[in-house]
Amino acid sequence: MRHLYLLPAAILVFGILGLPLVLTVSRGSGHFAALFSDATLGSVALTTLAFAAVSVTLEMAIGLGFALLLQQTIRARGLFRAIALIPWALPTAVMAMSWRWIFNDVYGVANDMLLKVGLLHEPIAWLGRPGTAFFALVAADVWKTTPFVTIILLAGLQSVPRDLHEAMSVDGAGPVRRFFSLALPLLRPAMAVAVTFRMIQALGIFDLVWVLTGGGPADSTRTLAQYVYETLFRYLNLGYGAALTAAVVLGAFLLASGVGAAVRGKPVL
Amino acid sequence: MTRTIVLMTILAVACLPAGGCGKDDSRGGGPAKGKTVVRFLEGPDNGGGWKEIVSRFEAAHPEIDVELVEGPASTNTREEMYTASFLSGDSTYDVICMDIIWVPKLAAQGWLLPLDDRLPPNEREKFLPGDIQGSIYEGRIYRVPMRSDAGMLYYRSDVVTTPPETFEDLVRLSREHQKPPGMWGFVFQAKQYEGLVCNFLEVLWGHGGDVFDGTGRVILDGPEAVRALTWMCGLVRDVSPEGVTTYQEEESRHVFHEGHALFMRNWPYAWTKAQEEGSPIRGKVGIVPMVHAPGKSSAATLGGWGFGIAKSAKNPDAAWKFISFATAEAQQKTLHLRNGAIPTRRSLFQDPEVLAESPHYPDLYKVLLAARPRPVHPRYPEISDAIQRHVSAALVGREAVEEALKHTAAEIRKIVGR
Repeated sequence: MRHLYLLPAAILVFGILGLPLVLTVSRGSGHFAALFSDATLGSVALTTLAFAAVSVTLEMAIGLGFALLLQQTIRARGLFRAIALIPWALPTAVMAMSWRWIFNDVYGVANDMLLKVGLLHEPIAWLGRPGTAFFALVAADVWKTTPFVTIILLAGLQSVPRDLHEAMSVDGAGPVRRFFSLALPLLRPAMAVAVTFRMIQALGIFDLVWVLTGGGPADSTRTLAQYVYETLFRYLNLGYGAALTAAVVLGAFLLASGVGAAVRGKPVL
Repeated sequence: MTRTIVLMTILAVACLPAGGCGKDDSRGGGPAKGKTVVRFLEGPDNGGGWKEIVSRFEAAHPEIDVELVEGPASTNTREEMYTASFLSGDSTYDVICMDIIWVPKLAAQGWLLPLDDRLPPNEREKFLPGDIQGSIYEGRIYRVPMRSDAGMLYYRSDVVTTPPETFEDLVRLSREHQKPPGMWGFVFQAKQYEGLVCNFLEVLWGHGGDVFDGTGRVILDGPEAVRALTWMCGLVRDVSPEGVTTYQEEESRHVFHEGHALFMRNWPYAWTKAQEEGSPIRGKVGIVPMVHAPGKSSAATLGGWGFGIAKSAKNPDAAWKFISFATAEAQQKTLHLRNGAIPTRRSLFQDPEVLAESPHYPDLYKVLLAARPRPVHPRYPEISDAIQRHVSAALVGREAVEEALKHTAAEIRKIVGR
C-alpha cells in the first residue's frame, strides 16, 4: 500500500516504454535466429562499435580537457562556457550539412587549410574513401558532442569541495597530484554518466551519418540504426525489423551500462 | 547561480526546434460538410502549378474537395509518410503520388487499386512507353504517369562540336579537352545512394547488359556487366575527379555549372538551371542520350511520378476523377509551364506553347523514348542496396570488378529467390 502513489507513473512508464518493447519482441519472435546468420548485421555492428569506441574515447579525453580549462577562474568565463556549448546546440542535420561542405574535395575548407600548411600535396575526397570517410564522421561527431561531455564533467569538477584542494595544497601536493588523487576519483560518477549517455547515443547514431555519407562509400559508414531503418521502412520487412530493433536496443543498453559501470567502478544497477 | 540559469536557458532554447512540430497550412480549414475529400501528398509546390490544377478541378467538380498536402522535398521522407499511413491501416491519403520505383513494392503489399479498367490500352498509348511500363506490376497497371524524368548526357557545346556517341568517344574527348583540376572531363553521381544505381544501369544497358534477362534470371555477373563496371571504375582519377564518389545530383551539377567539367550525366532539371540568367554556361550546353557501346543502343534510367489510388480510399471514383483530370494534357501543360515538370503525354512534346518555353524538348523526347525502368520487383529496395554497396566498393577500389559483380549477383539471387 505504501507505494500505491507510484501507480500512475508506473502505468505511464509501462504504457509508453514497456508495452511497445514487449510488442516489438513478440512481433520479432521467430526472426531472432536469423540475426546470427546476417552478414550485413555483422558488418554494420562492427562499424557502429568502432565508431562508438573511437568517438566516445576522444570526446571523453577532449571534454575533460575543456572542463578543466573552463573551471579555471579566468576573465569572461561565462562567455567561454557559452561558446563551448554552441556545437552541441546546433541541430545535427544542419551541422552535418556544413561538415559535408567542409570535407568537399573541391570547395572544402579542410583541404584548403591542409594544402596551405603543406600537409597535403593534392586535395583529398574525404568522404569518398572508406578510411577517411569514417574518420570524417568521427571528427564531426567529436566536434558536435564534446560540449555535452564538457558540461557534465564541469559540473562534476565543481562538486569537488574547494577546501579539499586547499588542504592538499597545504600538504604540498602540486596541481598534477591534486588532479590524479583528488579530482579524478571524485569525478568518476560524472564520467560514468557522460560515458553511458554518449555510448547510447553513439550506438544509435543515424542523422549525422545519413546527411554526411548516407552509409557509403562501400558501406564503410553504415550503422546499425540505418540498417534498422532500411529494414523497416524501405524493405518493409517488419518481423525481422522488430527483431533487429529489440536486439539493438538490448545490446546498446547492456554495453552502455557495462562501460558506464566500469568507469564508475561499481555496477550501475 | 546566474550562470547556471543562463546555461539552462541556452540549452532550453537550443532544444526548441527539435520539439517543435511543422506547420501544415495546406490541410487547415477542413472540408465543407457533405463533400467527398480526396487527399494526396506531394513535394513543395514550387511554381504554384498544383494549386492551380486543384482549384480548376474543384471549380469543375464542386462536390469533391481535393486536399493537396505539400510534404517535404525529400522523396525518402514522403515515401516514409505514405508507408506509415498504409501501415497504420487508415486512409490518410486517397491518391498516392508515387515515384516509379515504389510501384512494385506498394502493389505487392496490396495497398493499391489496379487501374486496368480505368486506363485501357488505347489511353496508355498516349503516354511515353517507359512511364507506362514502369507503372505495371505483374500484368496490372497501378499508376497514371504525371511527370517524367530520365538521365542524359550534358556536354559543353562551345568546346565539343560533335557530341560523343560511344563510351570511348566520351573518354577520348574528355582526355583531349580536360585540364584538371580546373576542368575535368566527366562528372556523374557515384555516391553510395539510389542515384548510383541509375548511373550504373545506364552504363550497363549501354553495354547491352542488364540485371535480369527476359526470363527473370540474374545476369549481373555476365561479360557485359564486367565491361560496364570496368569502364566506370576507369573514369575515376582519369577523366573524373576522385570526389565523384561523394557526388549526388547537385554536387555534380555545381562542378558542371561553374564550368569545371566538359560532360555531365544528370536529370533534365539541370538544363533549366544551366539556362537561367546569370548562369556561367548559359547557351553553351547541349544534351544527348547517354553514350553506348558500338553496336548497342543508348539507354536512360527512368524516374518520374504518377498517381495511384489507395485500396483504403473512401471514394475511389472521386479519386479517379481527380487523377484523370490532373493527368490530362491541359493540366500537364500547366505543371510544365509553372513548375517545370516534364510531361508524360507524347503530344505535349509537339505543343507550340511547350516548345516555346522549352526549345530543347525534341532532344529530351529522344532521351525519354529510350528510357527504361529500373528492375521491377517488390524487393527492389534490397536489390538497389546490393548494387549500391558493391558498385561503390568497386569504384573506391575495395573490391575488384568481377568480385563485386559476383557478390551483387549472388545477393540479388538470394533476395529474389526467397
